[in-house]
Amino acid sequence: MKIRSLEDLEEIAHRGIQKIKGEKIRIAVGLGTCGIATGADYVYTYFENAIKDLTERVFLTKVGCFGYCSEEPLVKVTIPGKPLTILSKVNPEETEEILRAVLSGEIPDKKALCKIEEWNHITEYMVYGKGLANIPSYSDLPFFRGQLKLVLRNAGLINPEDLEEYIAIGGYKSLHKALNMKPEEVIEEVKRAGLRGRGGAGFPTGLKWEITAKNESDEKYVICNADEGDPGAYMNRNELESDPHAVIEGMIIGGYAIGAKEGIIYIRAEYPLAIKRIETAIKQAREYGLLGENIFGSNFSFDIKIVKGAGAFVCGEETAMIASIEGKTGRPRPRPPFPAEKGLWGKPTSINNVETWCNIPIILAMGGERFSKVGKENNAGTKVFSLVGEVKRIGLVEVPLGTKLKTIVHDIGGGSPSGLKVKAVQIGGPSGGCIPEEGFDTPIDYESLRDLGTIMGSGGMVVMSEKTSMVETALFFIGFTSEESCGKCTPCREGLKQMLHILHKILSRRGSEEDLKLLEELSMTIQTTSLCGLGKTAPNPVLTTLRYFREEYEGLINDGKD
Amino acid sequence: MVKIKINDQNLYAREGENILKLALKEGIDIPHLCYHEIFEEPYGACRLCIVEVIKDDERFITTSCTLQAQNGLEILTQSPEVVKHRKILLELYLAQAPNAENIKKLAEKYGIEKSRFPKRAFVTDHLNGKCILCGLCIRVCGEVMKAGVINYIGRGPSTKINTPFFEENPDCLGCLACVNICPTEAVSAEEVENRKILKSWSETKVKMKECKNCGSLFTTYPLWEKTKSLLMEMDTELEELCPNCKRELLIKKLTKNLPLPKPY
Amino acid sequence: MNNTKRAKELEEIILKHSSPAGRILSILEEIQEREGYLSKESLKYISKRLNIPLADLYSLVTFYSFFNLERGGKHTITVCMGTACYVKGAPKIIEELERRLGIKEGETTSDGIFTIKSARCFGACSMAPVVRINERIYGYVFPESLPSLLKLYGWKEK
Repeated sequence: MKIRSLEDLEEIAHRGIQKIKGEKIRIAVGLGTCGIATGADYVYTYFENAIKDLTERVFLTKVGCFGYCSEEPLVKVTIPGKPLTILSKVNPEETEEILRAVLSGEIPDKKALCKIEEWNHITEYMVYGKGLANIPSYSDLPFFRGQLKLVLRNAGLINPEDLEEYIAIGGYKSLHKALNMKPEEVIEEVKRAGLRGRGGAGFPTGLKWEITAKNESDEKYVICNADEGDPGAYMNRNELESDPHAVIEGMIIGGYAIGAKEGIIYIRAEYPLAIKRIETAIKQAREYGLLGENIFGSNFSFDIKIVKGAGAFVCGEETAMIASIEGKTGRPRPRPPFPAEKGLWGKPTSINNVETWCNIPIILAMGGERFSKVGKENNAGTKVFSLVGEVKRIGLVEVPLGTKLKTIVHDIGGGSPSGLKVKAVQIGGPSGGCIPEEGFDTPIDYESLRDLGTIMGSGGMVVMSEKTSMVETALFFIGFTSEESCGKCTPCREGLKQMLHILHKILSRRGSEEDLKLLEELSMTIQTTSLCGLGKTAPNPVLTTLRYFREEYEGLINDGKD
Repeated sequence: MVKIKINDQNLYAREGENILKLALKEGIDIPHLCYHEIFEEPYGACRLCIVEVIKDDERFITTSCTLQAQNGLEILTQSPEVVKHRKILLELYLAQAPNAENIKKLAEKYGIEKSRFPKRAFVTDHLNGKCILCGLCIRVCGEVMKAGVINYIGRGPSTKINTPFFEENPDCLGCLACVNICPTEAVSAEEVENRKILKSWSETKVKMKECKNCGSLFTTYPLWEKTKSLLMEMDTELEELCPNCKRELLIKKLTKNLPLPKPY
Repeated sequence: MNNTKRAKELEEIILKHSSPAGRILSILEEIQEREGYLSKESLKYISKRLNIPLADLYSLVTFYSFFNLERGGKHTITVCMGTACYVKGAPKIIEELERRLGIKEGETTSDGIFTIKSARCFGACSMAPVVRINERIYGYVFPESLPSLLKLYGWKEK
């Protein structure tokens, strides 16, 4: 059916609710890439076989990832009238026992991680039920206590391959609302929210849209940057795998606001599951008339196309991405002109990160004013981080901006797993830097991180313990950016190659004071004179480790002197 | 017109005018390698043309080839910051293209005798240890000559310029625009018997065209094919002659009132 | 593959990807998906057919690390070299793989069974270190666990 009105939407929502908390027992297996890598697909198959004759009573489904990666595979069980329960580290062999228990109305305590009695999807409020006293509540778990799930509000709870479930939790209501506003009113709302680009640079999204909207042209484009390239970062992968319709809804609203009829999702080829889920979601949205001609019966038409990247980190840079979509090598070009003026095929284009797009339906649902109150002044909203490395509790963590680094590393992450001291956190991937423990009191916002010599980046957060060598870490990142440099401008191509050479020299204890000086001088020149953001930020891992861990470099130099 | 200031010099410029182009026209020396006036769009790869922009209390470094004239723009082309970074860039160039004479000269001008970076190691190099990957040869071949014989291969530190699959490319016109535009004289070609050999481009060979009258090799075959119809609607008599013989025959036709070819 | 058959397949792929955004990449990706790599013949065909100089096409495919110009092994083992995997010892996994299979990264075993590659990041950082064999991702892989993993793909210890 084609959805034409709010009533149509509600009718589908009703069907979706039946799946989420209907009369049947719901067993939902978390099938994100992380879950599958730990065998969640086998868990699903085992359940599938076991319930063959029980489909009258049990509804088995796939959901995305709930973010607590170190507890995967996660299975969410909902017995009608009772809280939703999350079971962790589920083995295929345990499925039978679990099934037996839930059929008799019980939850196997020893597998239960936590329960959810009610849940705020922002676009909808879901009440599951009370009870199960001996299972801890979601918010009692240290991993979840400091978190605020806005972007990840649906991840791991709904089936990303089922549009009806997305609509059940209030999906596409924001779009309906937006289409009943004037485009400039939508932009005003996003501006009022104070949302800044979640790709890392933090440019105000509303302003970007406004500039693109004001540039007159017969054709305009919106692009979703899903070329998540930072090693150690996988927020965007999860957002696409677990809640693809949120991205699509955000893009349709954006297209309406700036006057674009076509959207493009540029996604890295390394994410096959995310590609599959977003393809399915687009197909369903078309079937229901949420993409295509005359959306919601309005005179606004919009469609989305997927373009797969082909393995080049630099294509995350917007002018390189445009070149890549146009079928050229992804080499950046000088800006201005900015894409808002001359973008894809020379037309005004707004490029926003996956997570930025995810925030749009939330802003419409909450209202810009209320959204702006979340987080910190001038840093509104939340940010998702992938907390990995030498940390006890690994996973995707969403916190209000302004949360202190130590809250994430120690309270949520639980510090180092091995009893070793946490030494630093690497933020912002190859464009970011290493923050020492002394800096953990810093609130996470765009400006504070910049003052520490790093950037917000897309949200990678790799914890390093005292056994990690900071010089080796710097070498790793310079090796990465050098390899991924497009090779167009000299400071980036030749400069990073020489930095790598000097770092190798220092690590093999053949370095001198002069080398250290040259390394610093060269870093400054690469930072100042490179053509694009890749080169401009590439020296950050070296500059921050030199700033906070200089003694490690000096130690290696002095070692060589003996 | 807008008023701008380069170093101590006040100048008038068209709004949006390219600052590097303007400075060069005014005789202000800004070193550059990847800029060439035949191209409309700046490429911004060599980064040598950096200047310091002074804007209110703010100062920043940017390339002059991508800078546009605006009223009140004030720039310095040789400030200590500019010189500092330019010197590092020149050291990088010296290491990358140790045989490029004009890079050596430019470095000397900035007081650099020797690069602190190790020279690129190579046994043989199709570009003679002189290529700085500025891309001018690629652009002139593709955008101006529309031949597209060469391009970048690979990316990052292993970027090269050559023909696809490192094989002779039959698309080559033998026009030598690449040889002529190269700022470091890296591209080499020679003429052997009746062929031009693009030594730098996988030894691509291009057949020469012989003058039907005197037998001299006056152009390459593909260039002759491409241009023969461009200038004049030839009569077949003129078509296969070298410029000298062509001139002679034309004079003969003029003086003896023979029918002339129609201008294009 | 003979030329007529190739031309027919390529025409089919070209027709399938007709909208301009991302067209060239999609075509090349699909050819690689079907043939396992991008052969010189296919590239030459595409160059002629879409009127793109071969030099530009070759430049494109050598720029993106996803494209292979040579046929790979039956099973491609890709070791993730992202930050989290690196910190947790990914370089040692590559070393061990190279030792066990007797080839270097980027090479294929002489029997054409295994190819070793490395990747930037699969975004499965929580399971670091991570190895992908063909399409399946394996988490928590350590040098000691490689033999049993390889055996799943028919490898025999010598």
